Amino acid sequence: MRELAGKLLRLDRRAIFVLIALATLIPLLYPIGLPIRVSPEVKRVYDHIESLPAGSVFLLSLDFDPASKPELYPMAVALLNHAFRRDLKVVTMTLWVTGTGMAEGVVSGVASEHGKRRGLDYAFLGYSPGGANVIINMGQDLNAAFPADHYGERTADLPVLGGVRSLRQVNYVVSLAAGTPGVESWYLYGKEKYGFELGGGVTAVIAPGLYPFLGTGQINGLIGGLRGAAEYETLIGMKGKGMAGMDAQSATHFIIIGLILLCNLFYVLAPGTVVRSFDPSAPLRTGSAQDRTGSPQEGQR
Amino acid sequence: MATSVLIGAWVAAGLTLFMFSFLYKDNPFFRFGEHLYVGVSMGYTIVRIHYDVMMKSLYNPVVQEGKWWLLVPALLGLLVLTRFVPKVSWLSRISFAVIVGFGSGVAIPRIISSNILQQVQGTLKPLLNAGSSRFGMAELNALLILTGVLTVLVYFFFSIEHKGAIKIAARTGVYFLMVYFGAAFGYTVMARMSLVIGRFDDLILFASRDYAYASLVLLILVTLGLLLWERGQRRTQTPPGQVHSS
Repeated sequence: MRELAGKLLRLDRRAIFVLIALATLIPLLYPIGLPIRVSPEVKRVYDHIESLPAGSVFLLSLDFDPASKPELYPMAVALLNHAFRRDLKVVTMTLWVTGTGMAEGVVSGVASEHGKRRGLDYAFLGYSPGGANVIINMGQDLNAAFPADHYGERTADLPVLGGVRSLRQVNYVVSLAAGTPGVESWYLYGKEKYGFELGGGVTAVIAPGLYPFLGTGQINGLIGGLRGAAEYETLIGMKGKGMAGMDAQSATHFIIIGLILLCNLFYVLAPGTVVRSFDPSAPLRTGSAQDRTGSPQEGQR
Repeated sequence: MATSVLIGAWVAAGLTLFMFSFLYKDNPFFRFGEHLYVGVSMGYTIVRIHYDVMMKSLYNPVVQEGKWWLLVPALLGLLVLTRFVPKVSWLSRISFAVIVGFGSGVAIPRIISSNILQQVQGTLKPLLNAGSSRFGMAELNALLILTGVLTVLVYFFFSIEHKGAIKIAARTGVYFLMVYFGAAFGYTVMARMSLVIGRFDDLILFASRDYAYASLVLLILVTLGLLLWERGQRRTQTPPGQVHSS
């Protein structure tokens, strides 16, 4: 038993990669449809949008780039679908320059599915430089922060922004964030001063750090990771990318939990086993591939 | 299907497989994809900065609307570039002074209010309200949070030696920190798995007939490429005069 444990501890880690790949691939190809329980923090975002009367101003800030697309894009699709169904005036923007094209794609795509007209029912303001300072500027004068929208139309002439001079006239803001600037910036420089209600949708990596803000009511709801996106899709009755990924998410988590337990068991059974390194012949690199896939902003948190 | 969409799908599937090839080992496919990602990100950022910042926020307001005062921040921005000219690099300090001064002035009061005062209030308020009602789960949670906050603060209090009651409190703080690290790690695993799921989802889509079986064809090509590269590597590593057994 001790010998077997030692052998397994020295197993080439590429075997684990294959195992994870299979655990991801098989549920995606053959979904089981495991039940999804909606958490209270996600429900609160949904409830707040439900409580808004038609014509209320809903600002969605897509503060992420393609590196976080699998987690935050399904949230954006779900929230936009919900807002358009409720006939809210949807104003969208991004504080991340590298996310501009992707944000424009999701906003215009979902809007066209609902037959909404640009400038009349929704606006995409695009990117404005300054990070968190843009929020302060928007709180003072929205037209100064965004003199023109993403397409070059003067924001002062957009019917959807009629009566919206600053953040004070916005009813609800949701920031979908993969780091800084993101939810915390919207709270620090926006909500406290200009008095709008704020919700957040974030990657799973930064979600634990935002729970204290949820507990104190500084944000009214929080959608965390792909799981949160799936919960929101459940609430609005939409079968999107979030729900599709939940079976695979559960399967990979099951594998990882199993591997952690097994490794600890083997570690006890075969003490002193030298675990083989991944690839001794490979040149020394600083940081892993995973480290590099995260955005620099994510690392700042 | 539009040709541009098809080309996009092939490029996306190919680059995803290039990046995944690192799981085998560091190789030229991975390095090509990595360098391309850095280059494209930088190029895209420059183009967007040109249109969204230089044109939309500076050139058009100054030239078309006569907002000449926008030239002041533009000048401050240009002064940062004097760092590249040693003789006049001191001019950049003016810009940095503005950035640091403005940034600190804006951030410090807000952070103290939001991240300290309101958090303290949020920690204590549920317990202060508990006196008026029965002690339930909400109050227990509030008590746990308060215990966690205090013991972790004690752990990071290095001015006194951790002995006796202080040691017990600091030790308790360590357990609270461990629970946080565990939760954070669990969330991180979830995030990374979500990224894998996102890429696999696209690869499955691009493996369909609509996309001319892009993922499958490229998977075979990348595997063949890796085999050839591996063979080449082994040949170059074989000492002169020694014949490789395979």
